[in-house]
Amino acid sequence: MRLRLLLLLACCVLAPTTARTADRAPAPRALVAPASAPIEQVIDQFVDAAIVEANVIPAGQADDATVIRRLTLDLVGRIPTAGEVDAYVKSKGADKRAKLVDRLIASPGFVRHQAALFDIMLNPEGDRRGSGEFRTYLTDALKENRPWDQIFREVMLPNESDPKLKGAAAFLRGRVSDADKLTADVSVAFFGVNVSCAQCHNHPHVEDWTQDHFYGMKAFLARTFDNGGFLGERGYGVIKYKPTKGPERTAKMMFLTGASVEDANAKDPGAAEMKAEKDALDKAKAAKTPPPPPKFSGRAKLVEVALKGENAEYFARSLSNRLWHRFLGTGLVSPLDQMHSENRSSHPELLAWLARDTATSGYDINRLIRGIVLSKAYSRSSRYEGSESTPPFKTFAVGRLKPMTPQQLATALKIASTDPASFDGLKPAEFETKVEQAESAARGFAALIAQPTDNFQIGVGEALLFSNGDRLMKEFLTDGAGTTLGRAKLMKEPKEVVEFLVKTAYGRAATETEAKALVGFIEKRKGREAEAYRHVLWALVTAPEFRFSY
Amino acid sequence: MTRRSSFCGSGAHSIDRRAFLGGAAAVGATVASDMTQLSVLAAPGANGALKKTQKRVILLWLAGGASQLETWDPKPGATTGGPFRSIQTDVPGLRISELMPKMATRMKTTCVIRGLNTKNGDHGSAAVTMMKGRRDEAALRYPDLGAVVAREMGRADSKVPDYVTFYTQTEGRSMAPGTSGFLGARYAPMELTTNNYPEFIKKLDGITDLDHLERGELRDLLGKQFGQGRSSETMSSQNEAYQRVRGIMASEKLFDVTQEPQKVRDRYGPTQFAEQVLIARRLVEAGVPFVRVGRAWWDSHGQNFETHQEMVPELDHVMATLIDDLSERGMMDDVMIVTLAEFGRTPSINASLGRDHFASAWSSTITGCGIKPGSVYGKSDPKGQTVVSEEVDAGSLFATIYSALGLDPDKNYHVGSRPIPLVNPGVHAIKAVLK
Repeated sequence: MRLRLLLLLACCVLAPTTARTADRAPAPRALVAPASAPIEQVIDQFVDAAIVEANVIPAGQADDATVIRRLTLDLVGRIPTAGEVDAYVKSKGADKRAKLVDRLIASPGFVRHQAALFDIMLNPEGDRRGSGEFRTYLTDALKENRPWDQIFREVMLPNESDPKLKGAAAFLRGRVSDADKLTADVSVAFFGVNVSCAQCHNHPHVEDWTQDHFYGMKAFLARTFDNGGFLGERGYGVIKYKPTKGPERTAKMMFLTGASVEDANAKDPGAAEMKAEKDALDKAKAAKTPPPPPKFSGRAKLVEVALKGENAEYFARSLSNRLWHRFLGTGLVSPLDQMHSENRSSHPELLAWLARDTATSGYDINRLIRGIVLSKAYSRSSRYEGSESTPPFKTFAVGRLKPMTPQQLATALKIASTDPASFDGLKPAEFETKVEQAESAARGFAALIAQPTDNFQIGVGEALLFSNGDRLMKEFLTDGAGTTLGRAKLMKEPKEVVEFLVKTAYGRAATETEAKALVGFIEKRKGREAEAYRHVLWALVTAPEFRFSY
Repeated sequence: MTRRSSFCGSGAHSIDRRAFLGGAAAVGATVASDMTQLSVLAAPGANGALKKTQKRVILLWLAGGASQLETWDPKPGATTGGPFRSIQTDVPGLRISELMPKMATRMKTTCVIRGLNTKNGDHGSAAVTMMKGRRDEAALRYPDLGAVVAREMGRADSKVPDYVTFYTQTEGRSMAPGTSGFLGARYAPMELTTNNYPEFIKKLDGITDLDHLERGELRDLLGKQFGQGRSSETMSSQNEAYQRVRGIMASEKLFDVTQEPQKVRDRYGPTQFAEQVLIARRLVEAGVPFVRVGRAWWDSHGQNFETHQEMVPELDHVMATLIDDLSERGMMDDVMIVTLAEFGRTPSINASLGRDHFASAWSSTITGCGIKPGSVYGKSDPKGQTVVSEEVDAGSLFATIYSALGLDPDKNYHVGSRPIPLVNPGVHAIKAVLK
């Protein structure tokens, strides 16, 4: 198994990478990135150097209106109000973006949105997503910026007798009936590694993953079971498997790095001891209380070994890669669950630096997020002007469109259909309340929209829902008091209305082409302007400029 | 190293990728050199040129598990045989249940697979396996038959839905959903559950047709402006989805069974299943690649014989009518009819005179396209407990279906950079039943 010497490498100075194996070492870059440098600066140093090396011309920085839209969507899960856009565009000062980022990160919307994203990350199939208790746990944890290693510990070793922490148990509880799935999901969610390919045979092409890795991980987890609605864990029990060649084998508890754990109970204990454990479990079951943990807990051992020394690089790199992907739309390693030696990172030194920085800063999620979104790499325009073909997204030379999540899209619809003036002059707390109300009001509609994944495809079902469903009309595109369309009705000139609607939906002025087309559309409908305005707003919010973070 | 080994991101599959890229480039897809872009979702255009023969499939899904002994593989006289006799069909040596007299005179059109051993007797997971031809991996959700056929046979600019599924009864519906797995929402089924009419296919009353059309044109204009200098597969899929709206709306009438002459409706019969199968015929005639008509609930743990006495004749009549109808329209070479369920039923009869879940020796039929008509494959023992020869599992059944549709079962999709063939590596079609 070829381990990357990331932690050593990343320490203080990134020297030319002579320690790497020859097959994947790129031309060494003599870049120096001190551990103390601001994250955003290090990001740009590495990304810019790679852009030069790839010989591509990067897109320019996005304009202020685009930057605040992107930041507001990415950090707090909604589009900015027209007032927020204007204030940001007008504001001066070199630190205006940092101030905005800090304001957004400190807002309650940040916790809600990031909790939703972590929920999706940990439960990608959506079966348990939003299950009240797990989301509540994540929200509480993110509210106090709880370190990621602590969250990992609380999810893997949930304390079900603590009302504040028991929600974390939902992750395991939903998976205990299938130890293979639990093994695969834990490896993917926390370590960015998909060992399920090695379940039936050693991985044919990725030397890193053998059946020993899959069953080694499974050995930590397979003793966990449901004990009357609470998580139970036996202190014994071995995993046996039949390799493609040779006799049946007993799996050692072994982490992805090959680090194995001496299992005190590799052999089943005596009958008396097993009976005592069973009695204790039955007693807890009858009493409807969490059962006592075993003397030797495989799960506790997994947490210990996964966070120990160099082993922790999987954990740190996976978090760094996933947060990078969350904000840039493309991972430093892609796909996110294929972090192994034969699937090179596009920016290995940067990933190593970020992982190292994340680990030494105590797995501080907000710190890493702040660093990523303050980088110039994050704020590049998604439009590539010029004659060259668009550089690949993995160079981060051009911004990538990100489809909104269902909740982002529905909340954005709510904001765009609310009279922007009704947000003006609110105190910060009132503003937050109004935003949260919009978010809640959007929840029902959000449930009708598909959750994006990598390589997401928008199906005709969504287009039909937006085209012919009555909920968009009844819940969003209404024209009563306090709505965007209600305000539009008070205006005289189609031109004024078009300017207003484009600004409200897109946060920018209308272009000449669209103003002409939209005004023309309205003028053709003399005597039924209100309907025409509604169709214009419909066209604006169903177009890609609304559907995507760009 | 074999070409079809599974793969999780290594560079070892450069040949596959290059071949794939070549195909994509030929139709101008904007696939970059980035291998992570090379997904199954990125290349629907690559198929367009290859879709010469638009084969279509109607799947009659016998939800809950119909009994093979009361349909395609009767064992009259055996202790497990039950009360019904068998009757001679128009295929020499082939006898089926007396509950299917109409199919008995049409077996020359059809292939019976009698040796299914699919090893799973749990409704939910077996239904998934039999809809997909394999079990999902822990981290990979496969597309089902409908989604694969939709992708392979549907046109990117299709004016009709690609995959329609009827499942009106509530029993078992949630256990056998249509799913497009890693093929994504583009190939997800249009599901009809509460009635025979799709959701959101009609414009709202409050909007004129012209406004509906022209606001869509505004949207396209805004989209074009935004798309300048920007590339995104997801954005293309969104634009494509909106472009398909008007066409799909125009297909509304396909779902309206009253558009069909009364004579034809009478021929199919008045039941809901019959109406849905007739709609399915209307749909495939209009180019819809895949329609599933789910008929529930065959799960006869008690009173198996009454249940089958009631349900089999309906299946017999409707299936025979569909075959006649398609034949008269000259469509049998292009439309396939499959009968399938999550499993069959136990030969042993339980104390409630029922038959329980049974996956070790049951039956399915395939009619049309490249299937050899009048063929029989597989043999169960005299009591129907085991397969004694020509055993077939879910994978080879699917490989056979794909082959009969003219699809190469070894064709790869790319999930991320991992090639995934239509059926698992090493699984082969049953050559004996292919034309």
